[in-house]
Amino acid sequence: MQRILYIIQKEFRQILREKVFIGLIFGSPFIQIVILGFAITMDVKNVSLAVVDYDHSVYSRRLIDAFTVAGSFRFEGVLTSEKQVKIALDKGDIKLALIIPPHFERDLINGSHPKVQALVDGVDGNSAGVALAYVNQIAIKLQKEWLKNAGVTVSKIKEIHLTTIEPRMQYNASLESVNNIVPGILAVMLMIITSFLTGMSIVREREIGTLEQLMVTPIRSYELILGKVIPLLIVAFLLLNVGIIAAGLVFNVWMKGNIFALYLTAFFFSWSTLGVGVFASTITRTQQQAMFVAYFFMIFATLLSGFFIPIENMPKVIQGITYLNPLRYFMVIIREIFLKGTPLNLLWQETLAMALFGMGTFVFASLRFKKRIS
Amino acid sequence: MTAIMNQPIRVENLYKTYGDVNAVKKVSFSVNEGEIFGLIGPDGAGKTTIIRILVSLLRADSGRISFKGRDVAGNTAFVRANIGYMPQRFSLYPDLTVDENLNFFGDLFRIPKAIQIQRKERLFEFSKLAPFKKRRTGQLSGGMKQKLALSCMLMHEPQVIILDEPTFGVDPISREEFWCILKSLAQNGTTVFVTTAYMDEARLCDRVGLIFEGDVLAIDTPDKLLKSFTGSLYRVGSASPHTAYEKLQNNPMFVSVDLFGDGIHITGDQALTVNKIKNEMERLALSYSAVSKIHPEMEDLFLSLMKK
Repeated sequence: MQRILYIIQKEFRQILREKVFIGLIFGSPFIQIVILGFAITMDVKNVSLAVVDYDHSVYSRRLIDAFTVAGSFRFEGVLTSEKQVKIALDKGDIKLALIIPPHFERDLINGSHPKVQALVDGVDGNSAGVALAYVNQIAIKLQKEWLKNAGVTVSKIKEIHLTTIEPRMQYNASLESVNNIVPGILAVMLMIITSFLTGMSIVREREIGTLEQLMVTPIRSYELILGKVIPLLIVAFLLLNVGIIAAGLVFNVWMKGNIFALYLTAFFFSWSTLGVGVFASTITRTQQQAMFVAYFFMIFATLLSGFFIPIENMPKVIQGITYLNPLRYFMVIIREIFLKGTPLNLLWQETLAMALFGMGTFVFASLRFKKRIS
Repeated sequence: MTAIMNQPIRVENLYKTYGDVNAVKKVSFSVNEGEIFGLIGPDGAGKTTIIRILVSLLRADSGRISFKGRDVAGNTAFVRANIGYMPQRFSLYPDLTVDENLNFFGDLFRIPKAIQIQRKERLFEFSKLAPFKKRRTGQLSGGMKQKLALSCMLMHEPQVIILDEPTFGVDPISREEFWCILKSLAQNGTTVFVTTAYMDEARLCDRVGLIFEGDVLAIDTPDKLLKSFTGSLYRVGSASPHTAYEKLQNNPMFVSVDLFGDGIHITGDQALTVNKIKNEMERLALSYSAVSKIHPEMEDLFLSLMKK
């Protein structure tokens, strides 16, 4: 047991000797949270919009007004023909165009369902979808207003089938994606430190030949592994705390839940990523190779974690695969604890899955390591 | 019985292959207590393979090595706790200081701190590294690195030490110093097993095993080995040794012709004389500066054994 302490002591000597490393521990959470928090946003703002009005009536003016005052759109002006719309879309001057047909007002009053056309630049499918949803929302709002003006009673309006979704976003009232992204960044950062550095630090011993030297000493392989990963666990813990503070200071996203619940779950989560690091070290000879293996894992883990892409949107088969991804569970847990303050007893399934997965990965990787060196 | 228990290293019919390559072919030898035993041969002769099996990092295909009377394969923990091993490549932490590296290896063998301090002082006496205590290992010279690696492995005072080409790539002065240290260790009762590709280091060993392509060609004291050289040896100095070597190498008059740094070495039977060589050189219109009868060195012996 004592030998584990000696290895830990040696690891910290090496870590503290690298000035870059210290910068990495304390600087990187801030930089990542600031840059990624601002850059990764699912909000659709300032959609450039142009309008073609073939009707020039009071109603069509009202329609245009409704869009120009809405914060989600940036009104670029009125165009005179569909041809011009096409050119503007091609050039990228606008992302969205509304075309109000002739006799819009007359048809509306007659009740013959005039159709307003919306042309959207669909290159960024996500934003296009969100922009269209905004268009619909505004259209529904206008229709209600007009029905009321036309003297239709409130009870009558209810009978007419209009979409009546009244969205109220819980936990993230302003529906800002930064609230969702920041805890996600913390989770990914934890994964990077633990899987990347573990693999590299073990393979480094192989590269410089010290592993061979260590093996011809009375040290046991479990002592060596624990001695190697415990320092990184401590580093990851520090980094997580710096990240939590950075998220609060920069985005005012402070944790709602119990910090010890987060520590405990982060601890369980780290075992699985440490295990990945150890595993990477058993199948590689150089630090570059170990980095590549860890990187390969991280890309999949991140994409299949629900960080950017909701898991419910994935094909069933892929959804099945995500159950093997420890980050999937931790992504749920860290968001729940951070944004909702969910107590741990409601998250026990994810916690258990993660803990089992973590222990399994770590033990498997350690056995492989033992076999490899003895 | 006690003699066998005390025998530090005994290698019996050791055999090891890597795929199609026979790295070690039925090698047997033993190393006695308190001697410096040198396993000498060129790169790829199988020296490192034997050492790696000996220090329990590799398994033999057949045959066995015993360390102090115990089979290495079944007593890994015993071997690792009682042996000192210095790998071929420098393998200390370059970002730790001299002192920290020494402490770390002392710690791993659970040497109490007070004793560590005493031992470090003693090790500094011969290594002369005391002024560099606080220097990072990566910034030491090649010779100093090797002395530090040796010191680290001596922290637990093993009775048997194994060194794989410790003087490889080290300058001649540091090499000499290093061998002096090994000598004094052996005088104090430590058994030293060392490999080298430098033939001239053979004379510094008490006993020598010559190894080539996985076979041990001969084992004895350096003197006895050199006396076993049969035939007479001549050195021919030449301004253009390569041309002379090419013209002479298949000459039926000589047993063998070899190219050396100081000229051409010619081995012949007892009937060969300086004059016969001179006549032959003149007949072939080869220029030479001097022909003289010389005593064989280890390299001459090695080449002659190798060709048999």
